[in-house]
Order: sequence, then structure tokens, then C-alpha cells
Amino acid sequence: MTPTKTAPQNDLPEVYIDDILMTLKYFTDEHEVHLKIIDPQVCMNCESKPCVQFCPVGAYRTQDGGTVQIAFQSCVECGTCRVLCPNSNISWKLPRGGYGVAYKFG
Amino acid sequence: MSTKEKLTFDVIVVGAGLAGSAAAAIAARNGLSVAMIERGQTPGSKNYFGGALYTHSLLEIYPDLWDRKPPLERPVTESGFWFLSKDGMVRATVQGGKMQNDPIDAYVALRAKFDAWWAEQAKKEGVFIIPKTVVVDFIREDEKVVGVITDRPDGEIYAPVVIICEGVNNLLTQKLGLAKHDLKAHASALAVKQLISMPAETINARFGLPSNEHGLAASVMGDVSMGLPGLGFLYTGVDSVSVGVGVTLEALTKAGIKPYELLQRYLNHPMIAPMIAGGRLMEYGAHIIPEGGWTTMPKLYTDGALVAGDAASMVNALHWEGTNMAIMAGKAAGETAVEAHQKRDFSAKSLSAYRARLDKTFVMTDLHQYRNLSHFLKSRPDFMNTYPAFLNDALGMFFSGFGKPKKQLYKDILRSLTDRRPLVKAAGDMIAFGRTIMGF
Ligand SMILES: Cc1cc2nc3c(=O)[nH]c(=O)nc-3n(C[C@H](O)[C@H](O)[C@H](O)COP(=O)(O)OP(=O)(O)OC[C@H]3O[C@@H](n4cnc5c(N)ncnc54)[C@H](O)[C@@H]3O)c2cc1C
Ligand code: SF4
Ligand code: SF4
Repeated sequence: MTPTKTAPQNDLPEVYIDDILMTLKYFTDEHEVHLKIIDPQVCMNCESKPCVQFCPVGAYRTQDGGTVQIAFQSCVECGTCRVLCPNSNISWKLPRGGYGVAYKFG
Repeated sequence: MSTKEKLTFDVIVVGAGLAGSAAAAIAARNGLSVAMIERGQTPGSKNYFGGALYTHSLLEIYPDLWDRKPPLERPVTESGFWFLSKDGMVRATVQGGKMQNDPIDAYVALRAKFDAWWAEQAKKEGVFIIPKTVVVDFIREDEKVVGVITDRPDGEIYAPVVIICEGVNNLLTQKLGLAKHDLKAHASALAVKQLISMPAETINARFGLPSNEHGLAASVMGDVSMGLPGLGFLYTGVDSVSVGVGVTLEALTKAGIKPYELLQRYLNHPMIAPMIAGGRLMEYGAHIIPEGGWTTMPKLYTDGALVAGDAASMVNALHWEGTNMAIMAGKAAGETAVEAHQKRDFSAKSLSAYRARLDKTFVMTDLHQYRNLSHFLKSRPDFMNTYPAFLNDALGMFFSGFGKPKKQLYKDILRSLTDRRPLVKAAGDMIAFGRTIMGF
């Protein structure tokens, strides 16, 4: 097969995800964090940091020094980061029973 | 172990989704004691889809469905494909005719409402629902599953058969070794959706629906996914519209795009924006679809356990069929649990009757037929871009540019294809696509 161009033209609108997340209801676990970075050093060496792009709620944010922080409170438990982190550097668990996102409509 | 008596049921169902509540209802109706464990605050609060439910599968569990007043939105009376180019759209939808079957074949629904009701029906059959509880592992004796461990203190519950209906993130199925690996990036799609509120009359007017008893289900291809392997959708509820897009995880990360920006780009599309103008965002969400189907299906049974629904990769992505497969599989799993209790045999051999049951349904035959779809889209990454764009050009040229010789028109149309894809390759694409969906 001849190589085909998959790189999309970048005409994506900018979106303020926090505005959108206002529509979601969460039961936040104050005592347990269900998502953790296993080794911050690995993130520092992870150049492209794809988690910052692919997480559908933008829970991953880059910090000064090249590590990333996870806003686990806004996670919708989709599973994408567990599958896509190229370094398998995320410890991914379901929130404890009753916690996490609670869709009102679904 | 504590001095308390062991908490024991005939059947444990993990997950109160579509598969879970179906499996639990069938088992309880046949006299078994059933515990259904759900991690959400209430059944439905974690569940998400486009989408439409298929009437045949609901009737399969509750023949008196309509007397039970299911919380459905609109019946789907118009359905089909919308092909988006950058600034245009070709619609190929069907209405009337078979779309007026009695009962109507599909209904738009919102899962938080529907699944709560679906679980409530299982409760009426005698199912004991345990919400706000995560199953974290299994209790095993001599390699056999004999119960589950939950995240509650003293949270062990016993049953000779456990039906796993945990949805797409099938961590428990992996833990049992039934699934040999985690989700595959090329065979899983991340879908994001906005639920947009609009008055029913506005929806009726904008989508050409004669009344609230008419609804639209559109599968959207082309520019919606920026040509990446993926699909968009639009469903009309009574006073809301569900608009979303899914692309494979592999494409998402390769393209380096943010899912919510891809969705916003779709909502801003010149053909889509006027449809939802003035609407208010009610809820956003995201969920993975296990599109691998047959190719990523785990083993479906082991000693003391069965797997059904998304957890077993039972989705036909091209047709948006996952809910009906989950319900049919839940039913087959429930029936198999009943039979195993009659035989008092919970071995893998006995439970293999589940697979035999499913093999006789459309679930397995369809998944087998479509087994090469994920691979097809992976190997032809431009497929979703080229043809929707060409279709828009071709029809656009056909119905415009009057006063020019028609010979030139046909040349131009052909040209707009060959500029995108050499004729031989285009023919190859079509043959390969045909073979893929026919299952050769
Ligand atoms: C955006 C989108 C659009 C879709 N559109 C359609 C459509 O239009 N038509 C269609 O037929 N299909 C559609 N699908 C697919 C369909 O939604 C799924 O196939 C279907 O929901 C699968 O049902 P399930 O019961 O297997 O899983 P789910 O409905 O996901 O249920 C799993 C349940 O298990 C619970 N659970 C998980 N782990 C645990 C645990 N460890 N302990 C306790 N509880 C647990 C969860 O909370 C959840 O309640 C769509 C999917 C998506 C994402
Ligand atoms: S993709 Fe993985 S390794 Fe890279 S920054 Fe994100 S979490 Fe760290
Ligand atoms: S599970 Fe999904 S929503 Fe949660 S942090 Fe990972 S990618 Fe983001």
C-alpha cells in the first residue's frame, strides 16, 4: 500500500474543558486517590506527554520540572490513559464503591 | 475468617448494566438467589452510550415490556448515514417503510435513567442489588471461582457461579486470565458526547420530525473524525440531542488531538451547528467502545464464572450494536447458570453451554462476520476521509454547474475521485470493504 496522509490539518477549536466539566456530577473520594503516576521520573523523560492530549477530561496537566499531575477528581473512568500511556506509568484503579463520576443522563 | 456465616447466593452478577441486569433477572425468575453488585451510587450512574436500544432485545427479557413503561426517549423512525465533507454533507437516511414496523425496532435512550429502570425490573424478579460496591477480586478454591471479594469491610460473597458483566474495562476478566491482555489501542474507540437540551418543538422542526413520536439516528462519517478511523453520531431524544464522535485510541494518540476539541470541531461544522444552535449543554461524557469484537473476545467461561457484554468485547461497531448483544449474552449466561444449578455442575465444561447458546444467536455470527473490520480500517487509514469527501464532491457537481457540457461533468467527477485515490486502488478499497463486511 502506498503511504497515505493521516496527519489532520490542525483546525481544531480551542475548548475550555473546565466549562464543560461543570455539567458533570462527581462523588469525590477525600481519602483515596484512584489514579497515580508510578514513577515521576519516567514522566520527566516522556517527551511528548500524550496523556495531556488524549484524556477526554484533560485530567493530566504538565507541571514545572516536566512531571505531570492528575486531577483525579475529574476522571470519568474511561480507561484511555491506562491503555495509551506509552510507558505503562499509570496505576489505574476504579474509584471505591459509590465514588467517582455519576452521570445524571448518560 | 470471621465467625459470621458466609454470605452465600446461588449466583453473583458483577455490574448492573444491560448485560448484568438481564442475566440477574433471568436467573432470579428461575428461582435462584441472585446478588448483583454495582460500583456506582445507583445502577446506571456509570453507564454511557450514544445511543439507541433495540426493541427485540428488551422484549427478549420482558415480553410485557410496554406495560412496564420503560423510560425511553423517541422511537427511531429515521436512520442512516450522514457523510460530511469539510463544508458540506450528503445524507442517506431511510424513513417510512420498515422504519414503521410495529413495534419500532430501535429507541433512543439515556442510560442513567434507563439502566436504573432496567435494574429495578431485575429487583422485581427478586434480585438483591448491592450498590456502591466494587468487586476487586475472586475467591477461588482449587482454581475454581467460588465467590468475589469486594471493597467493603468483610466484603466476601460466595456463589458457585459468578457472571461478569463489568463493561469495557474488563479488569476482572483479565484477572481470571480469560482475557489475555488489556484493551488494544487499534481495536478500542474513545467516544465523547455532548447531550444538548432543546425544546421538543425545535427538535421536530429542525430535524423534520412530525411529532415527539418520531426520532432520528444518524451515523456520521468523514470530516467528523478528521478522516481518522472513527464515526460520529447524532440521536434525537424528546427534548435533547446526543451528539458525539469516537475514534480509535491508536488514531487519537497518533494524531495528538484532544477528544473534546475533535467533538467541538464537529459541533462547529457548518452543517451541524445550525441544528443545535441555541441548545444548552446538559452533560458531557466519555466511554470506550470495544470495537475489536471477535478478534479481541476473551474466553467466555471458566470453572465457576462466565463473561458477558462489553467485558467480552461483544460490539458490532459499524452498526452501533452493543446493547442488544450485551442483553442477549446476559440472558444466555443467566440461563446457563440456571442449568448449572439443575445439574449441580459448575465446571468449565458445564458452563461451556453458554458459548453453545450464544453461537446460535446473531451475537456470535455477526461478530464473526465483522471480525476483520478493525484491521480493515487500520490498514486503510484514509478510507473514512476519501469517500465521504468524494461523495460530497460528486453529488455537489452533479447538482450544480448547470450550463456546462455533461461530458465535462463526468470527467470532473471521475477526476475528483482519482485525485484522491487511483481508480485501481479505489476499486480495491470497495472490494476489500465488501469482503470485510460480508465476512470473507
Ligand atoms: C458513545 C457510545 C455510543 C454507543 N452507542 C450505542 C448504540 O447506539 N447502540 C448500542 O446498541 N450500543 C451502543 N454502544 C455500546 C453499548 O453502550 C455497550 O455495548 C453496552 O453498554 C454494554 O453493556 P454492558 O452491560 O456489557 O456494560 P456496561 O453498560 O458498561 O455495564 C457495566 C457495569 O458494570 C459495573 N462495574 C464495572 N466494574 C465493576 C466492578 N469491579 N464491581 C462492580 N461493578 C462494576 C459498571 O459500573 C456498570 O454498571 C455505545 C457505546 C458508546 C461508548
Ligand atoms: S504518557 Fe505516561 S509516562 Fe508520559 S507523561 Fe503521561 S503518564 Fe507520564
Ligand atoms: S481514565 Fe479516562 S478520564 Fe480518567 S484520567 Fe484516564 S483518560 Fe482521563
